[in-house]
Order: sequence, then structure tokens, then C-alpha cells
Amino acid sequence: ATYNFAVVAAASSFEDNDFAEFEDFDSDDDFVEVPVTVGGGAPAASKEVPVKEKEPVVKAAQIQDDEEDGIVEDEDEFFKDDEEFEGFDAGEIKEETGKKPAEPKLTVAKIPMHFRTHWDSYWMEMLMLAGLMVYFTNFFAGKAKNAKLAQLWLTTHKGLLDDNFVLVGDDGKVENENPGLMKESESLYTLWCSGRTCCEGMLVELKMIKRQDLVSLIAGLMRPQQDQVHIKVDLTRGVMDPFVFCVGTKKTITKAFKEYADLSKYCTLVSKPETRYNVPAGFSVLSEIPEATSAILENRIITALSRYQQYIDYIHISDQYSGPVQVEDANNLKQPETKPVLMAGFNLPKNGDMEAVKPLLILIFYLMERLKGYRLSKEGQQKAEKNRSRVEEEFLKSTHAARAEAAAQRREDKRKAEKERIMAEDDPEKQRRWEAKEQKRQAKKKAPKMKRLAVKSL
Amino acid sequence: MNATVDPRRKEKVNRYKAPQAQGQNGSGTGNEDLTPDYMNILGMIFSMCGLMMKLKWCAWFALYCSCISFASSRVSDDAKQVLSSFMLSVSAVVMSYLQNPAPMTPPWVSSS
Repeated sequence: ATYNFAVVAAASSFEDNDFAEFEDFDSDDDFVEVPVTVGGGAPAASKEVPVKEKEPVVKAAQIQDDEEDGIVEDEDEFFKDDEEFEGFDAGEIKEETGKKPAEPKLTVAKIPMHFRTHWDSYWMEMLMLAGLMVYFTNFFAGKAKNAKLAQLWLTTHKGLLDDNFVLVGDDGKVENENPGLMKESESLYTLWCSGRTCCEGMLVELKMIKRQDLVSLIAGLMRPQQDQVHIKVDLTRGVMDPFVFCVGTKKTITKAFKEYADLSKYCTLVSKPETRYNVPAGFSVLSEIPEATSAILENRIITALSRYQQYIDYIHISDQYSGPVQVEDANNLKQPETKPVLMAGFNLPKNGDMEAVKPLLILIFYLMERLKGYRLSKEGQQKAEKNRSRVEEEFLKSTHAARAEAAAQRREDKRKAEKERIMAEDDPEKQRRWEAKEQKRQAKKKAPKMKRLAVKSL
Repeated sequence: MNATVDPRRKEKVNRYKAPQAQGQNGSGTGNEDLTPDYMNILGMIFSMCGLMMKLKWCAWFALYCSCISFASSRVSDDAKQVLSSFMLSVSAVVMSYLQNPAPMTPPWVSSS
């Protein structure tokens, strides 16, 4: 507790100068000393005080001073007088003298600040609310735009659809209240038409840019998106000859080639379609039977492809269509169900002028008539047959293990059931006969293997 | 071409069956758009962590996620899911402000 001595010395040197011998002691140190002991107690720790080397006589002076501490008031003014302490960190002394050791350390309880005190510090929340407002205004605007575009497509094509289908627009309800576009989501509208020769029905899917969702709009800035219409015609069985064919832009074709089961199993990618089938550049072709492909890609279709190249995404004709590639899981024993389809994907023009894509629907109807009238040659038929049986075998081989297991399982269950039935009947005679039969069967299963072996060794 | 012969056949009309009924391969073209489901789950996670760890920016982000999942939700999936994710994120925001009405600090501030 002696380190605070120097400051007291500074004070007492004014009243009784008996500590003169300390005057010449590096006096500026005196002023560097900080704490003054007021009323005893634990003096505040002070870092820069070089006090340790002082003699014990000093301690006596310090205790004698303690009684005079009563006159602390004027000393405070004295310390507040800045000139006295040149270069002395006044702030520190004020703070030091303020911390009376006697008083308990005040801990301010962390009470939450009041809401209504100052609104401007909630700028982040304002930002968030503004973001929500922008999002919802864009939602309603995008929703309306998409609805308008879908309706425009329908009104442009309504006449043509009514010429070709008895039923245009069906909402799946029994009495079909509002025939027209069905809204699957804010950016997906579907239309079902039925009642035409050589097809069971046509599903038109208007898949548009998600204008109602700001995030996908922003994502759309990076990756170009287009409004698309996907047409899927379920052909009646037996209308078209068995072949699989697909033409489209390179990107779509490479994706479809991996994605669709029938394309990946039956088709091969045609190396130079421009020379072989003179399709316009930028298109690629997947074909199973070259004869059928050239029959489909006759000059009328080629002119349509070149004139509407910017709108045509893909045209997919197949009699073995079974959807995306099924993931190979062991327990699906039966082959996926296939059906003949004519599918097409077209891009809608950016400026919303639907008249430009109307001929594409006429193209679809023309293709349907072509398929109805087109017959494969003998070799074509055989080739198709061969392909189908090859795929059948592949499927059987891949699921052979699973099917054998299932058959064994079924036999096992049958025997167990029979055993329970016999046990349930309490007629001993029948049980004995059944057990004898069972033993004989087990013995027969083991015995023959050895015998055949013996014959070979002779 | 079809002006001469009328291709329409009244007897061949088939009513529309929703894609599930037409079998999985019926919806071959409509490959599912998964954003509403992802955003829904993301919204749930963020509102949970907003509630438990009292992070306001998490709660706000959860509110945005449920808005996005509402915007891109399909008519076929039920509205209950979207409604529940909205309620959860709104409650996360309200709770985090009731507990501590101090203004929100963005994530990059509180983590430094």
C-alpha cells in the first residue's frame, strides 16, 4: 500500500517541508504519481509508479498523513486545477479520484432500449419492409402479365383448335365448368384437347418465365429464359409404325438423349445431319431407323424447320415413349408402360406476337396426318422388331436376379401356407402322409446331384 | 388439307385426367420445379434459427423465403404448407423484436 506515497508527498510538501530530501528526487516522478489515499481502504492499482525501492521510514509518514485525510475537499479542487499538472493526463486523474473504493461497483443492468425512442436507427427494418413491398408489387404485375400472355395464346389458336378438336379445354371436373386454360401455377398453364382422329388427346403446356418471382427474374438476367409451349399428343395405338425419332436444337437434344428412356435405348445421334438429311445448321437429329427419319424429314418439314428455326426447340416422335429414364431399382419387375406420342417444344416470340407461332400448330397437325399415312418398308419393320426384342432382353437380363428371387419367395410362401393348413387340421393320418411326402421331396432334392456325378467319373 | 375432311371425332373424346392419374410418364414433359419446396424448407430452418438464436436477420430472411415459396407455389400443392411457413416466419420476426427491440444488426456486423 506504499506505492501511493509520492502523491501524498506532493501534497504535504506544501504544508511541512520535512521531506525536503525527496525534493531533488526525480521530481517529475512525483507528479507522475497518481493515486491519493483518501480514508484508507484498498488504493487503486497504478501502473507507472516506481515506488518499490523506497525505505520503510516512508511508511510511517504515510500512516501519519492518514489522519489528516479529513481535509480532502480542497485537495480535490487542487487536483482539478490543470496548470498544476502540465503533461499530466487530467482525464485519468478525474476518473481515478471518481472511483471511490468505498462505493460498490455499479453494474448498469442491460435493459432493452425502448421502442419509440428513436425510429431512425431502424433503417435496416425499413429496408426489409421496402423489399417486401417491391416483391409483392412485382408479384402481382408478373402474375397479370403471364395471365395476359396465356390468354393471348389461347385466343390466337382457339379457331384452329376448334377446327381440329371436339373438346378444347377441360378442367378435369365432371361437368367441365370453365373449359379453357387451367392454371397450374403462376407461370404454368395447361390446356387439354380431345376428340380427333388418330390421337387420344393433346396436352398443351404453356411454361412461361416466372415473372411473378423477383428472384427468378434476377436469375433470368444471367441465364437467358424463354416462354415455352410444350405440346404432347397421345397418339392412338396402331396409328404410327414402330420407330423413334427426335430433332431439335443441339443443347436440347443432348439433354433429352440422356433424360428420356426411349431415346437413350433406341436412338443413335446422327453424325452430320446437315448433309444426310439437310436439316438447317444448329439442329441435331436422333434416329432409330434411317428410312423413317428421312421419310419424316421430307422437304416440307425441312422448310418449316428453317423458317421457324428460332421458335422450334424440339420435335419428338416415338412409339415406345415411357417418360424419363427410370432409376434402376431392383424391385420394379415389369417394364415401364410405353405409348406412342408426338411431342414438340416451341419458344414463344419475345414481343408476344402469337400469330408468328400459329403455323407451328398447323405443323403438328400435318405431322399427325403424315404419321397416319406412313408405312415402314419390310426391312424397316424387321429392324424395328429386332430393336424392340433387344431392349426386351436387356430388361429381362437386368432384372433376372430380382425376378428369380421373387419367384423363390413366392414358392416359399406357398409351402409355408400349405404347412400351416395341414397342421391346423388335427387329422394325424393326413399329417403323417404329408410329412412323408415332405421327407421324400427333400431327399430327392439332395440325392440326384451325387448320382449324376458318379456316372461322369466312370 | 384438313379443310376438306373434318378430323374431329366426337366419340374419341377423352376427359382430362390429372398427370398423376395418367401415370408417372404422363408428366414426362413437366419435370417438377422444385423451388417452392426448397424455399419452404429453407424458410423453416431460418425461422427456427431466428427464433432460437435471436438473430433478426435470420427471421427476415425466413420471411423472404416464405414469400418466394408462396409466389412459385403450384395450385396442386396445398396452401396449408405455404400458410404454415408464413406463420412461422412472421412469428420469428415478431418474437425476435419482442425479446430485444434493438434495431437489427446485419449478419456481417454481428459476426466480426
